[in-house]
Amino acid sequence: MATIAVPLGAEIESHEAEAVQRPALSEYLRWSVDHKIIGVQYGVASFLFFIIGGAMAMLIRLELWTPDLDVMVSGAAYNSLFTMHGTVMIFLFIIPMWAAFGNFVVPLQLGAKDMAFPWLNAFAFWLIPPAAIVVLLGYFVTPAEAGWTSYPPLSTLFSGDGQTLWALGAHLLGISSIMGSINFIVTIFNMRPPQMTIWRMPLLCWAVLATSIIAVMATPFLAGALTLLLLDRVAGTTFFDAAGGGDVLLWQNIFWFYSHPAVYIMVLPGMGVLSEVLSVHSRKPVFGYRMVGLSSMGIAFVGFTVWAHHMFTSLQPELRIPFMITTMIIAVPTGIKMFSWLGTIWGGKIRFTSAMLFALGFMSMFVIGGITGVMLAALPFDIHVHDTYFVVSHFHFVLFGGSVFAIYAALYHWFPKVTGRMMNERLGRIHFAFTYFGFLFTFFPMHIVGMLGMPRRVAVYDEAFANWNQLISFSAFVLGFSTFIVIYNIIRSYYRGPVAGANPWRALTLEWATTSPPPVTNFTDDPIPFEDPYGYGTEASAAYLDAVEAAFDGNENRTILD
Amino acid sequence: MTSYVDRQEKLKTGLDRDAALRLKNNRLGMTIFQASWIMVFFAIIVVNWQLRFSYAQWPPVGVAPFDPLLPSIATLALLLSAALVRQGWGGLRGGKLGEFLVSWRLAMALGIGFMTIIVYEFMTVSEAALATQYGITLRLMTGFHFVHALAILAVMLHVYRGACAGAYSGGEREAWAVEGAAKLWYFVAVAWMLFYVVLYWIR
Repeated sequence: MATIAVPLGAEIESHEAEAVQRPALSEYLRWSVDHKIIGVQYGVASFLFFIIGGAMAMLIRLELWTPDLDVMVSGAAYNSLFTMHGTVMIFLFIIPMWAAFGNFVVPLQLGAKDMAFPWLNAFAFWLIPPAAIVVLLGYFVTPAEAGWTSYPPLSTLFSGDGQTLWALGAHLLGISSIMGSINFIVTIFNMRPPQMTIWRMPLLCWAVLATSIIAVMATPFLAGALTLLLLDRVAGTTFFDAAGGGDVLLWQNIFWFYSHPAVYIMVLPGMGVLSEVLSVHSRKPVFGYRMVGLSSMGIAFVGFTVWAHHMFTSLQPELRIPFMITTMIIAVPTGIKMFSWLGTIWGGKIRFTSAMLFALGFMSMFVIGGITGVMLAALPFDIHVHDTYFVVSHFHFVLFGGSVFAIYAALYHWFPKVTGRMMNERLGRIHFAFTYFGFLFTFFPMHIVGMLGMPRRVAVYDEAFANWNQLISFSAFVLGFSTFIVIYNIIRSYYRGPVAGANPWRALTLEWATTSPPPVTNFTDDPIPFEDPYGYGTEASAAYLDAVEAAFDGNENRTILD
Repeated sequence: MTSYVDRQEKLKTGLDRDAALRLKNNRLGMTIFQASWIMVFFAIIVVNWQLRFSYAQWPPVGVAPFDPLLPSIATLALLLSAALVRQGWGGLRGGKLGEFLVSWRLAMALGIGFMTIIVYEFMTVSEAALATQYGITLRLMTGFHFVHALAILAVMLHVYRGACAGAYSGGEREAWAVEGAAKLWYFVAVAWMLFYVVLYWIR
């Protein structure tokens, strides 16, 4: 058997089960340069925005319960409602939520003491609260009504001051995202331990690296577009006004050159989480490790060549086919990931933990969202269902069925590391059941009403769709209710959950080779990674895991499964 | 323990591991920042380029093209300024503080000269040009670039004053602030070269 180099064993003598040293809650409310504190700050803040955005979704579904305008005072009020829903969910929930997991987990997986630029990290986080206040305040002056995509002339000639605040807030969030991403790239390139070559790096780090490359190269285009929008709104320029020699399509080009890659910013880290969770909870090496790492890069690269498929109906006809082809090519690296996940769990010793359930939920839902994506890439079909609920269904399958399911999987998987306590598995399964079926019956029927011709972004619709919409709204309320289960579970587990120990899942990546929660410097000595981050099922890996356990927990403190 | 890159760093600079890592992080971070932020300038070039298609010809009918003479002088001044910044930084690395101070004083003066010409260009766009995107995009691009030049000139001034007060005795270790400011000034020069070509030479 191979000699096992065990991290830190020498320096740690005894560990009492109850000695979970957690930072005081007040530390999370203050400026801190510790990546673990910042990670939790990101996480809690974005979860708060998830609740706000979710409440807006509930209002939207309440309005759509009947075909008439009954909850909202006017169509304009409905417009501003779904505008804020999209903005909050994308800019304030999903993107910062991945910064939360990236911040907490990536330096630990790399065996680093902190991120490369701790101060910049804190600064990037603290841009988010003021940005959020600016965006949300816009809702209370004359709100933005142009959707989260803010197409001119809706966003220039017809939206109130809320649109200006929206643009300012989005600007700040973009800057925050760029700074965070620079930090991730430098950390991942420079702060790995010498034994960890780039081909031995955990796949979450690969995914965060690809995400960050997209963010630094694409987000400046958002900054450019927002600058022009602000100038048009407050300085009297006419970049988007044909009457003054401008061009409304200019916005669509520049905005989507950012926002389509931003779709991958929202889902790539989730794919990284999937590779981690599926491998750990089915006790098998990741199938095709290199291809998975490279497919993240492939998605990042091809993602820059597809933006105009958002403009099929307004684009010059001769440009449509090339964009249709590049869009379909995106399915190739995504398919590589899907097959890798299937290959990973195939024949594995699957443990149906809550994290695993959500990861499997991701696979089943994301494949539907992916296939409708290929359908929408097909030009004739896209023109038929353009601006209908089919599109709404597609991107919710990708962003909820994809990103949010992965966020939940990551939450259940890393909660023990963050807090030192396990989440309640029974509540986790109930949460999963409500989320899975609530989600499926909310968004799957939208495919059908979309194909039947129900347009999106309307508060009043044809009687013929009434029954479908009642089913959708009812399921949406179930989905909304499921969030309360996980909130209760988080709070209860934070105080009462069983003590997790260093490595409750017996995972091989480095974040588990330290106490839960980790000490301020993460590791008391330079940690030594196992030769293969996913080398489960070998004697050497079992010996490594036993050694980690002995170093941190002693033998009596085994908490879960296996 | 140390990787190849670490060893090279150590040989070159004589820094200990933590300081070498910090320097390495700073350098990579600066490179990524430059690669990222230059994309905003590309975005604005795309704006200029797409707006040209709103018109039958560029510059639009009845608008006189901009005279490239003054901007070309400004561009030369900026390039010379960037070269002087490079020379001063090199001098400081070699421990020659005097050379650094003289070069950077000149570089900043040339930078201010460049910015003065750009402000003049901004202010003197003809009414006819301003009635079209031809004039408006010139104001957008020069104005946007000016904001960056001004901010980075302030950084250079800050570093220069620090050097006067004796903050950088020479050698690699303390010179990161100088290196960072110099690299930001190169960024200003590169960004301007892109805009200069698009504004004055591509018709």
